[in-house]
This record gives sequence, C-alpha cells and structure tokens, in this order.
Amino acid sequence: MNNTVMIFIVLPVLLGLGLVLIQRVSKLSAVLGSLFPLILAMLAVIFANGLTLNVLGRFFILDDSLVIFGRTIQITADQLGIIALFYFLCFAWNLLSGLFKVGQWFNSLSLIITALWVSVQFINPFLYSAVIIELIALISVPLLSPRGTPAKSGVIRFLSMQTIAMPLILMSGWMVAGIETSPSAEELINRGALLVIAGFSLWAGIFPLHSWLPMLTEESHPWVISFLMTIMQIGLAIFFLKFLNQYPWLRNLEEIKPVLKWIGVLCVVSAGVIAAFQKKLSRIVGYLYLAGTGNIVLTMAFQQQGWLDLLTIYLLPRALSYWSLGYAFSLLREALGSEQLDFSELTGLIWRYPLISVLLLGSFLNIIGMPLFSLFPAHRIIWSILASENLPIRLLMSLGLLGMITLFLRLLARVIQPPEIADQDKKERTIMIVPVILIVLLMVLGGLLPQIYSTPVQNLLISFQNLLR
Amino acid sequence: MTDILQSLPVYLVLIAALLNLVRRQWTLNLIALLVQFICLFPILWKVLPLQLALIHPFTGLMVTLILYLTLLGVGGVKPINLRDPLSSGEVFRALAGVFLIATLRAFLPQIQQAVFPLVSSDHLFVSLGLVLIGLLQLGTIREPFYLAIGILTFLSGFELLYSALEFSYLLEALLVAVNLLLAIVGAFFIVKNAESEAL
Repeated sequence: MNNTVMIFIVLPVLLGLGLVLIQRVSKLSAVLGSLFPLILAMLAVIFANGLTLNVLGRFFILDDSLVIFGRTIQITADQLGIIALFYFLCFAWNLLSGLFKVGQWFNSLSLIITALWVSVQFINPFLYSAVIIELIALISVPLLSPRGTPAKSGVIRFLSMQTIAMPLILMSGWMVAGIETSPSAEELINRGALLVIAGFSLWAGIFPLHSWLPMLTEESHPWVISFLMTIMQIGLAIFFLKFLNQYPWLRNLEEIKPVLKWIGVLCVVSAGVIAAFQKKLSRIVGYLYLAGTGNIVLTMAFQQQGWLDLLTIYLLPRALSYWSLGYAFSLLREALGSEQLDFSELTGLIWRYPLISVLLLGSFLNIIGMPLFSLFPAHRIIWSILASENLPIRLLMSLGLLGMITLFLRLLARVIQPPEIADQDKKERTIMIVPVILIVLLMVLGGLLPQIYSTPVQNLLISFQNLLR
Repeated sequence: MTDILQSLPVYLVLIAALLNLVRRQWTLNLIALLVQFICLFPILWKVLPLQLALIHPFTGLMVTLILYLTLLGVGGVKPINLRDPLSSGEVFRALAGVFLIATLRAFLPQIQQAVFPLVSSDHLFVSLGLVLIGLLQLGTIREPFYLAIGILTFLSGFELLYSALEFSYLLEALLVAVNLLLAIVGAFFIVKNAESEAL
C-alpha cells in the first residue's frame, strides 16, 4: 500500500465497495462517506511537497507508479493537488448528503466515481481514460435514476452521448500516431483535432449537443446531479488540459484558440437565452452547467497566453457555486415537496422560507458572476479579455449575461411576490440561519478577497509544464 | 465458395444486428445478440491470436446471459412469433438499416483508402456496419433493453475496428468491464421499468 496509485485510486474504490455493504445503515454510511475522502484529500495535501513523510523519526516513502497489464499509472507529488481537489469535492457533497433523500447508493458510488475521475487524469496512455469515463457514466446510473421510477429519456440520452464520445477520443490517438512520418501531416492533425473536439463536446454537453443536460437535471435529485456534473466538468477540463499538454500538434494548431473561444461563447449565449425563458428551476440547473462549461472553455482558450492561472482561480469558486446552488435547490425541494420546482410554486417564497430564499438568490447571483460574489473576479477577467475581441463575440457574450440577469430578475420577482394570506406562515427552522449565513459569507468573501480561493490552488496545474511556458 | 464461407460471419453479424434493430421481440433479440457476438469470433481470429479473439464472444455470452436472466425474472421471455406482421416503425427501421448498410458498402473503398488502409475490407465493412446500426438503434428507441442492445452493437463495431488497428491488454480489460457493466445497467433499467409498471 506504499504507493500513490494504491492509496488514491485502488483504496478508495475498495472503500467505496465496502460502503456498499453498509449502505442500509445510512448514518454510518454518510459519516464514513465524508470521512474517507477528507482523509484522502488531507493525505494528498501532506504528500504534495514530496512523497516522503517523517512521523516521529520514522519515514514513510511512497512509490509514484504502478504497472497494470503492462501499462503504467503514475501519480507524482506535483499532481497530488489535483487529487486533493477531487476528494475535497467528494467530501463536500458527502458531508450534507445525510440531510437529503439522495438514495442509499450515494456515499459509496460517489467515492468510487471520484476515484475513477482521479484515475482518468493519470492512466497511461492517457487516451484509455476515455473508457474509464464511460465506466463512470455507467456507474452513475443508479444515482441518476433511482429505483421506483421508470428509466427516463435524460439518462438514456446521457448514456448514449457518453458512449458515442468514447470511440472518437480513442480513434484520435490512433489517427495521429504516425504524424511525424506522414507526408500529409496537416490532414491527419485536422482529423485528430476534429475527433478530440467532437468527443469532448459530446462528453461535456457543449451546445448544440446539450439536450441531455436539462433533461437529466430535471429527472435527478439536485444534490446528486450537482455532485456528478461538478466533478465531471472539472474532471473533463483537467483531462482536456492533458490533451493540450501532451499533444504539441493540438496545442500549436492555429485554429484551436478561435474554435475554443467560439465554443465557449456559444455555450454561454445559448444557456443564457434559453434559461431566461424556462419555467422549471430543475431544468435551469442544466443551463447553468452549460454556461459554466462555456466559461471554463473560455478560460482555456487563452492558455497560449499563459492563462492557465485563470482556469486555476476559476475552479474552486465554480465548485462552491454549484455546491451552494445544489444545497439551496435540495432544501427547496424538501421544503416544497416538489421535484420539478416550477416557478409558480415559488410565489411568495421569501415569506414562507426566508433563509432558503436568501440562499437561493445569493447562489444565483454568485453563479452568474455578479460583483461581490466569489465568481466575479474570474468572470471580470474573462469579460475584460473578451472586450478586446470582435463585435459579434462581445454582443453574444452580453446577450448570454443579459439572459442570466433576466432569469434572476424573474426569480426575484416571483420569490418576493406577496403570497395568499393563508400561506404567510414561516415554515423554516431557525437553526438554518447558521449554515445559510456561513455559505453566503463564503461566497461574498471570495468576491472581496479572491486570494482565499486562489492561494490554496495556485500550484494545482503545475504538472502541465508545456502549458506553463 | 471459400470466399462465400469466409464472408459468411460478416453477413450473419450484420443480419443479426439488423434483426435487433427491426424486430421488437425480446427472445428473438437475445438470440440475435448472441449470434452477433459469436459470429464476431472468426472475424477477430483473423487479426488476433485465438485466446484474445475468444474474449469478445465470451463477454458477449455473459452479457446475453445477464439480460436473459433479467428478462426471465420479469416475465419478459415469450415464445418467438415470426408470423407477427411488421409495424410501420419496423418497416421504417428495416429500410433505414438496409439503406445505411448499402451506402456503407458503396463508399467502403473510398473510406478504406482514405482513413483505414491497413484494415481489410470485410473487417471494415462489418465494424462500420455495426457502428452505424448501433447509432441508428440509439437514435430511434427509448426502451432500456434496446438502448443496451444499441450500445452493445455500437461498441462491438468499434472494438472490432480497433482490434485491427492496435491491441492493448489494459484497453481490452476496460472494454470487457464496460460491456459487463452495460449489461448490468440494462438489467437495472429492465427491472426498474417492470417495477414501476407493476405499481
């Protein structure tokens, strides 16, 4: 067990399988489901400075690689920051999972899924990770589609898209294998790049292949879907960086930057415009993820100008925004006893559930990237970079933002609308005030003091040496 | 005669896949799925050693068994009735499937020359044929059982094609895991649907 691969991939999978056995004891499962990833995240932080640890004069030295079926999985010390982030996310979601009816599989499968996302980043050859992403999609099914309800179209479409993406990524590697000796390298490069972009577009649900996203968020519990989508979005972003880092032909392709820029802008504008007209909050989560994907792609579009820093400072506030939104939606779902969270059900919400309303509105302001909130510093940089772009890009980005602001104003109008007399009773427990204030404070502090979130993760992507130059 | 015998598995695989695309009789579909997996063996044997060529049909056998036992559990296994008239949807899927295969056959030399010069034409035909039929299946159905069959068909085509390009034990192990997990997910969906129908 003195090996990083065993500790951070094999052990969590085994622990996850162990949690399956005790899943009926929900409280114990929730406690252990939170404890294990927290310990793993702390171990990753401790060993990040070097794979040796001195405890009372006794040295613990970890190996950094493991050979499986003739292939090497390697996790070095400078990559442990990424692992810490993944397990911290798993901990954050498991911590509150006991408060909601997320299903008995959540604690065990979330740990296994996190371990698999970690393995995606470190398997060698890295293209084989595409198959692991397919495995993750399959393992997610019991979480996305709990027993007692028939299989719905969102999860079916999600599975189909993830499956179609896998061969595209695997083929891209084979396609460019002989690139150095080929007389028509340009053609091979274009084919390879097309396969990579198409594969990632299907995986992440890039516009116009996003239809499964709102369907899936509508069908699943907000706490479950927010975990799965957050870890998937961050996992895919880091995996795409790996492509850029490993493949000079992709990194140096002239068209890659404008293509990424347009993909990002189209995601942001489509999400904003469509979300502005939605009537169900559960579907809106899907569009918020689409906009989030767009913004992450935009931060990567500037990687050739040394903008890896931008993605780094963006990841943690983005994860916090999904976490707080997932929490607000889950509280709302339990309070209203509604799965769809239709706008009509939110009339006068602030009179009945003032704390949940504050959390909901604060989370929306945060995720849109409004001033004072934690996502604003990163969004401000993206917007200021895009200000120097051409007019269509500026117009489309403004339209996307306008759509999101319209959505917020619609929500605000509905929430503060005076309700029927009979509905005016406050139905909230006063104890809720503590977590709500803490979460809003976390969001606002991130806006006022951005270094709170950027300092812990400043060396997160240090292993992508080719992108740092 | 030898040519016909050598090409026989290719056509059997494609006919089985087309049958799964067109007909909606669970027992018939399971048999067709099994035929599809078993007939891939001689095609794989041409590019892989015997032990490795056996992996895919053996996985297919287990996948079919998982689905069969699940269907048996929910009372879905019924006698095959070949005399059932074709519905308009089935006719449409049959025509679309045949059209796709014919188009593929027509453009196969160009595809082979431009992208896969090292793959034999029979091998390329059957693998791309399975990929296309699998995609068509995924695009035209909503029932979980046929989703599983569609994905399995699509993946079979891809695995067949990839086996002619390169081989890796790790990748093979991962793909076997995907196939088995897919069968379990298919079974999970079938049970869920049966449970919610019973309520």
